[in-house]
Amino acid sequence: MTEKSLSVRLKNFTLVLGTALAFVYLFLPLLTTSCGILNRMSMYLDDNGIDPTRYYYTDVVQVKESEDYLRFALEEK
Amino acid sequence: MAQESNVVIDHGKSQWSDLWKKEDFLAIWLGFIIIAVCILAYTTYGPKAEFAEKIAAANQIQQAELAKAPFKTIAWHNAQDAKGKLKGSSSAFGKFASHWTKTPGSWKTNPLDSLVRSEAQAQALNEKGMAKYEEAKAKLEVALAAAVSAEGVAAGASFQDQGLNDEASAKIAEWRAAHKAAGDAKKKVENKPYNYVLSLIGLCIFIAIIFGAGIALMGKSAPAFLQGFAIVFLVAVLAYVLGGQAISKQYGFGAEAWGVLLGMVIANTVGTPKWVLPACEVEFFIKTGLVLLGAEVLFNKIVAIGTPGIFVAWVVTPVVLVCTYIFGQTVLKMPSKTLNIVISADMSVCGTSAAIATAAACRAKKEELTLSIGLSLVFTAIMMIAMPAFIKAVGIPEVLGGAWMGGTIDSTGAVAAAGAFLGQKAMYVAATIKMIQNVMIGVTAFCVAVYWVTKVEATDAGHSVGVGEIWHRFPKFVLGFIAASIIFSILDQNMGKDLGGAIVDHGIVRGGTRLLRGWFFALSFAAIGLSTNFRELAKYFKGGKPLILYVCGQSLNLVLTLAMAYLMFYVVFPEITAKI
Repeated sequence: MTEKSLSVRLKNFTLVLGTALAFVYLFLPLLTTSCGILNRMSMYLDDNGIDPTRYYYTDVVQVKESEDYLRFALEEK
Repeated sequence: MAQESNVVIDHGKSQWSDLWKKEDFLAIWLGFIIIAVCILAYTTYGPKAEFAEKIAAANQIQQAELAKAPFKTIAWHNAQDAKGKLKGSSSAFGKFASHWTKTPGSWKTNPLDSLVRSEAQAQALNEKGMAKYEEAKAKLEVALAAAVSAEGVAAGASFQDQGLNDEASAKIAEWRAAHKAAGDAKKKVENKPYNYVLSLIGLCIFIAIIFGAGIALMGKSAPAFLQGFAIVFLVAVLAYVLGGQAISKQYGFGAEAWGVLLGMVIANTVGTPKWVLPACEVEFFIKTGLVLLGAEVLFNKIVAIGTPGIFVAWVVTPVVLVCTYIFGQTVLKMPSKTLNIVISADMSVCGTSAAIATAAACRAKKEELTLSIGLSLVFTAIMMIAMPAFIKAVGIPEVLGGAWMGGTIDSTGAVAAAGAFLGQKAMYVAATIKMIQNVMIGVTAFCVAVYWVTKVEATDAGHSVGVGEIWHRFPKFVLGFIAASIIFSILDQNMGKDLGGAIVDHGIVRGGTRLLRGWFFALSFAAIGLSTNFRELAKYFKGGKPLILYVCGQSLNLVLTLAMAYLMFYVVFPEITAKI
């Protein structure tokens, strides 16, 4: 495979990264503000400090809160 | 051979020297050294004895209150709050560990806010939240006064009047709701200034040294690793910064996704410099992270919501996993069995963490892991928004909706978000079901590893496999992962709920192992990106079979989980649902 010149590679880098950044930081905020349900969800998550990117239960504060609630709710008294 | 270097495994005959030369064992030792340090810091040399004393005193108060009244009194709740404040992570070691493992924080408009926050910025944030906090505080005082008064009236009747008892119980519940609201509002006025640059440099040096030592023991070039490591770490830090943006986070696009994307963009445009590649030790980072993750897989959590939770999370999940795998092999005829099982586990168990564990257990290629996680991220973002909207639209009850989302949406954070969007109870049920399902990754990784060495690889090799060969092929780090899980489950069980919560959960895990586990996985995703070729990745997606597999498996998951949740929460155990 022929090696592309540095300027072409830099151009590709800027183009691809720029597209990804534009999608996440321009398109998604625009979509969020223009769509009622997404906007409400955004504000709700912000207000309650919920982070949907966290994948394991120990990373999510709300899991402990839920566990404690159910523990006391399901206790006999 | 070039293709095999892509696979998550080591080669050669089993020897004693494997114990200090092979990646799997080194991952176990490294993980267990970190675990041992954390255990010692939070138990023998930590606050365990002091916490045990305080918990015993609070328990005495609670027992006396329960003997006195037929409901949980204000004093009972105050004693519970006092126990809840006991956290190992508040100790000197906890603060030290947290300071030096900080990840870049959240930001909205300026990415630099994730690394540096001035005194003025912190003050401005606190002032913004102050009005809400003052309002919540005032409501809390009113609710407390009403609860004290109602409890006093009930006590005046020696807690013999059912009507007065119910009234007091209701007022206390209102006070607890106000207490939670005030607690949430308080978090918004506790912003502090920070500068993470120095701690990130320190962390980079620390991780480089520990993994560099492992690399040297494996007989590879430690200087070459150290030279490239700074770049891998830098990509991981940038991934945390990019993933910390509020909107990016909302759609589940966090540090892990950005790590792979950023790394891949670099690798496939300007090209990853050759001197960086020796630091892309994907498997070493993942295996060590998984051994640490074992400390978070606590088997006693599976009873958190009683029998219904076990059926929804531990019966449906393996059925969906196995059916999806068989469907992929027999109907879709997926060419890669490893990709098939990784997508099946990722979709049925708990997303990213299950994908990582399964991929390492069956020695999947890094492109397969990337593809599975990519699919999971896209569907998680869609389901997180669509499911609560659908549940609300058709009027499914909160508990059922919560159990359904908890059993089907991949990532735990997204489950909490979707649950909270539906309602408080839905979030409690959804998050707890997901937690129970999370615990399954230990069993999943172990079963997949055993199945792979005894069945899949044996069939591929065309001959039966003996015990020695099975041991040789078995991914040993899985044993470290399972051992950590068993040790911590016993430790947590023996300490009891309160002390276990303060020392194991909020100490050893959240104040120690979890902090480094997060970084090790972030590094592995950055390393995956930096060493992945777009063309290689596209090859695995040919024909759209991974997408079809995910959609079909998730459809089955949605149907079975809803049916099981309905059966368990509304037909077999309605009394549990009534208590929630």
